[in-house]
Amino acid sequence: MLLAQILLNGLLLGGLYGLMALGMALVWGVLNIVNLAHGAFVMLGGYCVYFLFAGLGVDPFAALPAAMLAMFALGYLLQRYVLNLIIRSAQLNTLLITFGLDVVLTYLAQLAFTADFRTINPSYAGANLTVFGLTLPLLRLAAFVAALLLASLLWIVLQRTRLGRAIRATAQNLTAARLYGVDPARLYAVTFGLGAALAGAAGGLYGMVSQVTPYIGATLTAKSFVIAIMGGLENPFGIVLGGIVIGIIEALAAIYIGPTFTDAISFGLLVVILVARPTRSLRSA
Amino acid sequence: MRRLSAAVAAVIVAAFPGVAWPDAPAAAAKTVTLGASLQLTGPDANLARYFRDGYQAAIDRINGQGGITIGGENYRFALKLLDNQSNINLGVQQYTQLITRDKVDFLLGPYSSNHTLDESSIAEKYRVPMVQGGGAARQIFDRGYRYIFGTAPPAENYFGSTVEMMTKLEPRVHTLALLTADDAFDVAVRIGTKALAKQSGVNVVVDQVYPENDPNFTSLLALVKSKSPDAILLGGHETEALNFVREAKALNVNPGDMMALTVGVPSADFRAALGKDAESMFGMTPWVASPVARDRWFGDAQQFAQLFARRFGYEPDYHVASAVADVETFAYALEAAGSLDREQVRDAIAKSDFECIYAPIRYQANGQIDIPQIVIQVQDGKIVPIYTDHFLNKPRYPAPGWGKRN
Repeated sequence: MLLAQILLNGLLLGGLYGLMALGMALVWGVLNIVNLAHGAFVMLGGYCVYFLFAGLGVDPFAALPAAMLAMFALGYLLQRYVLNLIIRSAQLNTLLITFGLDVVLTYLAQLAFTADFRTINPSYAGANLTVFGLTLPLLRLAAFVAALLLASLLWIVLQRTRLGRAIRATAQNLTAARLYGVDPARLYAVTFGLGAALAGAAGGLYGMVSQVTPYIGATLTAKSFVIAIMGGLENPFGIVLGGIVIGIIEALAAIYIGPTFTDAISFGLLVVILVARPTRSLRSA
Repeated sequence: MRRLSAAVAAVIVAAFPGVAWPDAPAAAAKTVTLGASLQLTGPDANLARYFRDGYQAAIDRINGQGGITIGGENYRFALKLLDNQSNINLGVQQYTQLITRDKVDFLLGPYSSNHTLDESSIAEKYRVPMVQGGGAARQIFDRGYRYIFGTAPPAENYFGSTVEMMTKLEPRVHTLALLTADDAFDVAVRIGTKALAKQSGVNVVVDQVYPENDPNFTSLLALVKSKSPDAILLGGHETEALNFVREAKALNVNPGDMMALTVGVPSADFRAALGKDAESMFGMTPWVASPVARDRWFGDAQQFAQLFARRFGYEPDYHVASAVADVETFAYALEAAGSLDREQVRDAIAKSDFECIYAPIRYQANGQIDIPQIVIQVQDGKIVPIYTDHFLNKPRYPAPGWGKRN
């Protein structure tokens, strides 16, 4: 019974991890930018939802689209007017600039919002069901479902829409895409905006099950990085699966190896995967 | 241009109340500079601001009332703060800088045992007295250092009064789950609490250490639930405690009788973040804002708390009070020594014996004070002192389950 409960907890947390990594993987796959400010976007999304919830009394799930919209705008502008300046230079430069963005956003957040702990704590935050002797926390279940829905939505956009085809075409062959009339500057900005919007949604959900401070970003960036590599960059469901695998491994490691080893295990796994399947970690598209 | 810089200054002062100087020292007085490297930014910034604001409040008050007299001459305090960005290595460098380049006279401490453990070694190396309230682990004081003094009670005994109370409650607590983080403070809490539980005949049925940097309690909570302990004790900092309580509720993990935390409960923003989930939670504090604690500069602790809340916009907790005690330790010791000589001031600190808003200050031979923790409980959104070595108020016990808290 204990094992089943731990697997369930890991599964639910893993879905949220997957959503967190989704935006990072999308940007990485299409723009070839490893966005080290991804965790900061998650944090800002968390604050968006927090202020809509605490300030205006909006239900946090209803606030998610607004947060996504705000983060889309921020992502679009950042890509168009900052990142686009160095998009063709060495990858080290994109790493440096996103790292710098992370620092700036984190410290601006502390100035604007203080370092106080914020929790998005609606009245139903602690609600749970007992099913076959297992406790099913409803908010985590909802976050898990939201993660799956957003991954499906992203998949549909990528597969079935004009925009999605343009994004995939650009990722596969930039020159050919340009010849077919894709404007890469605009497309990159839209893609980066989508990545930021997904991060924003993840931030809102994260604030509901955990907490929001200006400093939650760094760990979440690292986690998203591991998951993006495990899940591959091309399929949204691969990413969610990667998140679930990490969630379950961490949950099991906490009990059977020791809670202080969870990070060592998930990053150790990353090393194993990089060694065993190096092609998977690269952009296959 | 001047108008612009005045506007900029006004914005800065508004953004950082801690750097406002309402009681600017008179130009004629000489200055004693106290230096500290604090976590003004980074993950520890939330808690470290208690020290920033506490130091500033005490220094401004003492200066505002005419400063102190050292060897017949009038002195004012000045504060030199550096931001270590919650990075211990940077903190170590900054304490070196404070001593060798900024030439501060004496040192105040950083926040947390982890930081104090390393950074106090710089004070000891240069033989500059450091008084700090941020480091509670006995490890800090067990190294035979002569220049480090601490106003936080020993971490090993944080749960002392709580465990004692457990044996006197009806029904008595027989089994407990102990979860502690892996930093210096919580390792000390764990060692101490296990010994205390053994002495009191309380059986520790779960004893787990979790990582400070990425606390996710779902697995540990499932384990705790499977053992059904009478009490759950959590040793950790605010961030972890917050996640713990929320996850315990979501997974419907109720201890048989009670749940207690080392930190968090006394902090207003912690209670605000949890809302009614904080109800019935036990915690501890070595300090309450009581009119009984008399103080030379502030009158008493209650007056201090009101004054502080008006200026900084939040209720002070024991971290703030201990920061005030740190500054006052220097005020008394400098007056007693009658000189700025570090050796003489160090000896005067060791002989400290005064009342202040925080507690009666007397350092033990190892440099740390020993004051009891008062067990507190959140009842109807307020902090109620419950137990020291006897019951002060009626505890809400056994604590109601999650669904019944309001």
